[in-house]
Amino acid sequence: MFLTELFRTATFRITLMALAAMAGVMIMQFGLVYAQMEAVESRRSTEILEGEAELLSQMSPEHLEYVIRRRATGDLRLLISSVGLFDPGHALIAGDMHTWPHGLKPDGKPHNVRIYPEEGDPYPLRLLAVTLSNGTVLVLGRSFHLLAEQKLMLRHTMLVAAAPTFMFALFLGIVLSHRALSRVKDMHEAIDRIMAGDIHERLPAAKERDDVERLAGSVNRMLDRLEHLMDGMREVGNDIAHDLRTPLSRVRARLERAVAAGDGVEGQKAAMSRAVDDLDQCLGIITALLRIAELENSRRTEGFAEVSLGELVEDVFDLYEPIAEMEGKRLLKHPQSTVVQVWGDRHLLIEMLANLVDNAIKFTPEGGSITLDFGSAPGCAMLMVTDTGVGIAPEERQVVLSRFYRSDKSRHVPGSGLGLSLVSAIAHLHEASVSIETGTHGVGTCFRIVFPT
Amino acid sequence: MAKEDTAFQEQEGRTVLLIEDDSAIAEEVIGELKARGFFVRHAARGDTGLETALLGEADVMVVDRLLPGMDGLSVIENMRQQGVRTPVLVLSALSAVDDRVSGLKAGGDDYLTKPFAAEELIARLEALLRRPDDTRVTKLRAGPLEMDLIERRVWRDGREIDLLPREFRLLEYLMRRPGQVLTRSMLLEDVWQYRFIPRTNLVDVHIGKLRRKIDVPGEEPLIQSIRGAGFQLRVSD
Repeated sequence: MFLTELFRTATFRITLMALAAMAGVMIMQFGLVYAQMEAVESRRSTEILEGEAELLSQMSPEHLEYVIRRRATGDLRLLISSVGLFDPGHALIAGDMHTWPHGLKPDGKPHNVRIYPEEGDPYPLRLLAVTLSNGTVLVLGRSFHLLAEQKLMLRHTMLVAAAPTFMFALFLGIVLSHRALSRVKDMHEAIDRIMAGDIHERLPAAKERDDVERLAGSVNRMLDRLEHLMDGMREVGNDIAHDLRTPLSRVRARLERAVAAGDGVEGQKAAMSRAVDDLDQCLGIITALLRIAELENSRRTEGFAEVSLGELVEDVFDLYEPIAEMEGKRLLKHPQSTVVQVWGDRHLLIEMLANLVDNAIKFTPEGGSITLDFGSAPGCAMLMVTDTGVGIAPEERQVVLSRFYRSDKSRHVPGSGLGLSLVSAIAHLHEASVSIETGTHGVGTCFRIVFPT
Repeated sequence: MAKEDTAFQEQEGRTVLLIEDDSAIAEEVIGELKARGFFVRHAARGDTGLETALLGEADVMVVDRLLPGMDGLSVIENMRQQGVRTPVLVLSALSAVDDRVSGLKAGGDDYLTKPFAAEELIARLEALLRRPDDTRVTKLRAGPLEMDLIERRVWRDGREIDLLPREFRLLEYLMRRPGQVLTRSMLLEDVWQYRFIPRTNLVDVHIGKLRRKIDVPGEEPLIQSIRGAGFQLRVSD
């Protein structure tokens, strides 16, 4: 069970590949050493044979014969394993070679020749034959014994070295795969628990020291974000329920009263039309929510083009000036001749600015003023809406941009409580930031939208 | 709403082709249209709706976006390719930011998001049926009102009225559509090119200011508020 799983892990497969690579390298090394050894030995044999032949051919024939006879039993055997002195007809004169080696040419160069003795297996011999001045032929032979022994030693060494190396590598591979496997298994289990509904569960990421842990860390951060969003959605769900309950209860109460009162047609009509107004408010809340959701989900920037902030301010000023005037407040705009352009969707930007102005008008007491302004700095463009209203406490500033947040000061002001969330959703789509500051001279509020340019 | 207190025109003999698969909405709309004197043909599928549309018998069409058989936008595109010029009002429950744009790009003439008020639908259909006259004229007349589009001046019975540019634009829109009920969202969309209503009294304030300049006390009021629907420039021609 564990083994089959083990073979399926990437680590183990990589271990096997590494093992194969190691074996390849070892064989190659061995081959090189082997070839090198052969070359060295062959060079040495040649030198020895040629040196001895040189030495022996200097001697007088009688002395040479004597030396050969002595050598057959003497210390020459160490270097030269066999010697033979043959007459020109290749008949043996002296030495331990019984017959002329088959296929040997007396050309003074070393040749590898197979020797077939009368008893025992044939064996290779490195032979060198020189024709002496008197016509006799001197044959010197050196066996491959030494080389064979060295090769045998090398083979043994390699086997002895390879076995533990491979075993150790395999063991290491198995241990590492097992570790990886157990970590992956832990992750699988954690994911299963998350899928079963435990969204607070996280993958084991420890200190994110390696790739797997870093991946687990990334997944965990993704889960955090998702959980945060889910919480947000749940909150929104609760908020919607909460915010819709009030107007819906009102509708219900009105209609109930109208039914109970049994007023004339006129009374019922009035009750109905008020109910319709209340329902419109509910629909307004739902529409605003859908729009925010849409803006937050839409990464589409199809409607984007160059938009002049000056024209934007003009348009919104044009639309809202009578409203402010009617409520006894002044809507002002800083006269400017500079052209500042941002990349965005004109309709959405107008909606954003209109919401800010609308909000500012709502929270500015009679006699107060609301000022629209725009400008640019290196790398950014700005829109400012400054009012002389009640102001927003520093600790509430971040919160007012979230959905449905109604400051205690604004409980009595009608509205869905979604205007500023819409503003922040639109700003977000334009990669702009919304900051809330204290207005001029420490009075009121200044909303500042900063666009990247 | 009883018929006699409606500000809408009688639409005797005008044919509306409604392509809508939701039977509840269809029933509601058909009832409303018939009460106004429209003649209604109804198709519940996109493909059959297209066949009917290609007969070219309808004066105006109301097309839902999501339909079985063929979606609403394809119906409109197909119809336009075949040279049928019937004005179309697109209905949609989709509220995507650029949904309206794609609806109008496909060849729709106006766009309405569900849920909608019956008055809104009727007002928009009327506007589609009575496209304003040639926009290249330089002078507009509506009852006692006279407007010079080149010199940007307005008179009522010879008395010149001084208007701000935005008031001028609003009055021009009204004068091009005398007698038609114009809803708040139509005014916002067409006069200001806005697609949303941040607060309900926005249009009323603008109309109010214009009205104070146009309808001086003692004169017959021309700009009428239609309860539950919108406004109307009422002129007796």
